[in-house]
Amino acid sequence: MIFGELGYYSLIFSILFSILLFFFIYQDYFIKNNNINIKIYSFCFLQFFTIILSFFSLVFSFLLSDFSLASVFENSHSSKPMFYKFSGTWGNHEGSLLLWIAVLSSFLFLFLLNSKKDPKKYRLLTIFFQNILILGFLIFIIKTSNPFEKLIPIPKEGLGLNPILQDPALAIHPPILYIGYVGSSIIFSSSLASMIVNFVSKIWAESIKIWVLISWIFLTLGIMLGSIWAYYELGWGGFWFWDPVENVSLMPWLALTALLHSVIILAKRNIFQSWTVILSIITFALSMNGTFLVRSGILNSIHTFANDPKRGIFILSFLIFLSLLSLIIFFIYQPQKKGNIFFNFSSKEMGIAINNWFMIFFLSAVLIGTIYPILLEVINGKKISVGPPYYNFILTPFLIPFLIIMTISVKMDWIRSSINEKKKELLFLLIFALFFVLMISYFFEEINITVLLIFFSSIFLIFSLFKDFFDFFRNKKKINIAQIISHFGFGLLIFSIAVCSTFSKEIDINLKVGESIKLYNYELKFKDLSMKEDKNFKSIIGNFNLVEANGKIFYFNPELRIYDQPLIMTSEANIKTNFFKDKYIVMNNVSGSDYYNIRFQEKPFMIWIWIASLLIAAGGFLSIILKRN
Amino acid sequence: MKLSIKKIIILLFILICSISTSFSAGSFDNKIKKISKNLRCITCQGQSIDASNSDFALDVKNFIKIKLNEGLNEEQIYELLKKKYGSWIVFKPEFKYDNYLLWGFPYLIFLIGGIYIFIKIRKKIIKF
Repeated sequence: MIFGELGYYSLIFSILFSILLFFFIYQDYFIKNNNINIKIYSFCFLQFFTIILSFFSLVFSFLLSDFSLASVFENSHSSKPMFYKFSGTWGNHEGSLLLWIAVLSSFLFLFLLNSKKDPKKYRLLTIFFQNILILGFLIFIIKTSNPFEKLIPIPKEGLGLNPILQDPALAIHPPILYIGYVGSSIIFSSSLASMIVNFVSKIWAESIKIWVLISWIFLTLGIMLGSIWAYYELGWGGFWFWDPVENVSLMPWLALTALLHSVIILAKRNIFQSWTVILSIITFALSMNGTFLVRSGILNSIHTFANDPKRGIFILSFLIFLSLLSLIIFFIYQPQKKGNIFFNFSSKEMGIAINNWFMIFFLSAVLIGTIYPILLEVINGKKISVGPPYYNFILTPFLIPFLIIMTISVKMDWIRSSINEKKKELLFLLIFALFFVLMISYFFEEINITVLLIFFSSIFLIFSLFKDFFDFFRNKKKINIAQIISHFGFGLLIFSIAVCSTFSKEIDINLKVGESIKLYNYELKFKDLSMKEDKNFKSIIGNFNLVEANGKIFYFNPELRIYDQPLIMTSEANIKTNFFKDKYIVMNNVSGSDYYNIRFQEKPFMIWIWIASLLIAAGGFLSIILKRN
Repeated sequence: MKLSIKKIIILLFILICSISTSFSAGSFDNKIKKISKNLRCITCQGQSIDASNSDFALDVKNFIKIKLNEGLNEEQIYELLKKKYGSWIVFKPEFKYDNYLLWGFPYLIFLIGGIYIFIKIRKKIIKF
């Protein structure tokens, strides 16, 4: 069909526009005026247009189930629901790469439209560097992973999409995550450009803050969607496993969070110039690193794409090239210090420095934990696993001072703040939090001291932000509401995770129809099984009654789904959520018997983990809106 | 006033510590769960033994049950499994020669970061 050709040739044209752009940027760079040549606008738009056209050609090929394209044949099926045909576009390596490029060029186009106040040379160079990225990925996609590759003869039917990917949360997860990942590309390009034209300044920080916020918000949401999906789809009741693929999305998030703070300090006080630039580069390098690791096939994870070593080598070389380029630019054009700026020890500046210090620590732990097993295997052939126990051991203790310093430093002013005024307030909150923790430890004796301190420090943060919030309504004290919401979200997130992992109950049992069993204060009855047929799967539904001690009954219907294209069985958890806890039941068949394996879990505060993540992102969103007005 | 607040805080801390030092052993099923959460299902893709329902995972769960009944403790069970399947199976890498960099790197970065901030910022800090 026509869409295959249209998509392919649009990509070829966008390469041509890329090359033309380099030429016109070079030409325009030496012309002394304040306006960018209109040709650059045109070609940027044309490039953006052709890439988007190519992307939508692929979308239509998927929607129309055009099996003459290898990528559609391998990842789709005519009986699939329309929505999953659509999301199948990026559910595979080739399509997701095209999405990546589409976001890359969209960001460039948006940058061009939104940077009119900035110096001409800086804008031109940003376009230049962003185009290096676009061109690199365009060559990569055409050379190694052409989504429009033809199949002859044309197959009658496709192979289908992995059923665990046929899920609403996971369908929108990649585009959201990619906006986050790729958003950091424009930060990268503009930081290189600003070093060369000596523009690393307050004004630069103000102008890139919006890009940092956008990518940070989307990355936060993207990671959250992935976790939600893992929670209800993977059937073990967890939401974060410190799996390498989860880690590679967390690393840019940590770097972006550090960058978000250092950009603020650069915008306010014109310090941390080199550091902000370094963080910008690191963030994008980590995003690229994520793409490389996920696509190279060297990771052992449930999320990796089908592998081809050629792809890994290409991305790795491109990553090394970009890193070298940034290093060279950094050493030649390192931002020069302008005068000396002083601040007191108890100041916002110090707080942000400490934030960045801890962020880099968290980042280094996740980084080494992810790549060390790979390195070790290459060096001496030994295979080791680095999993949750490692990260819990390293990261958890450091969260305690981190949260406490976070509480104190948001109360600080710029340059200096007299600690005496705040001492009373903080002491009051401290006692309040200690009292709260004391109560927890009194009622639940089995908690260890680290967890108690996590409770204490997160409660301390939450209380202190509550107080700020109410002060704001009572006497209209000027506060940064966006910051409070995000920080509150973070405190709540840590608190909820601590509650959930400390107090959750879980049990595995084998039951057959008609049996019942006593679990904690409940009685679980396995009533019967029913069958259902859907468009592309059959399901066996278990009907369970969970009876509380006071006679209240919960009805649970976990499912076993048998997808036909491809033939895969999945189990769908049934979760009952309220504000205090989630009850979670998932069932699996036990081969060769009429027993079913039932996994029952009770997870307190689970919903608050998602609410907290949303609050973190909402704070960022609010910050953009407040800035605009 | 000031002193008394400090005293209260110290007192509260001591109370918390004294209460929280009592650890309980946990039930038998919980023990199996805890151990199988720290083990990788080597026939699956990135899942723990606890999360998996594969034949391999079921075998390992049974193995843990038997060994616990024989009176072995957690560490001994990990050792047995490591001997059988290699250290790939445990999610907590060992503290040994091979893994010093893995365990040490984050702390090293923290230390270097601390020193760097101290040197860089010392010049900027003035007491008002």
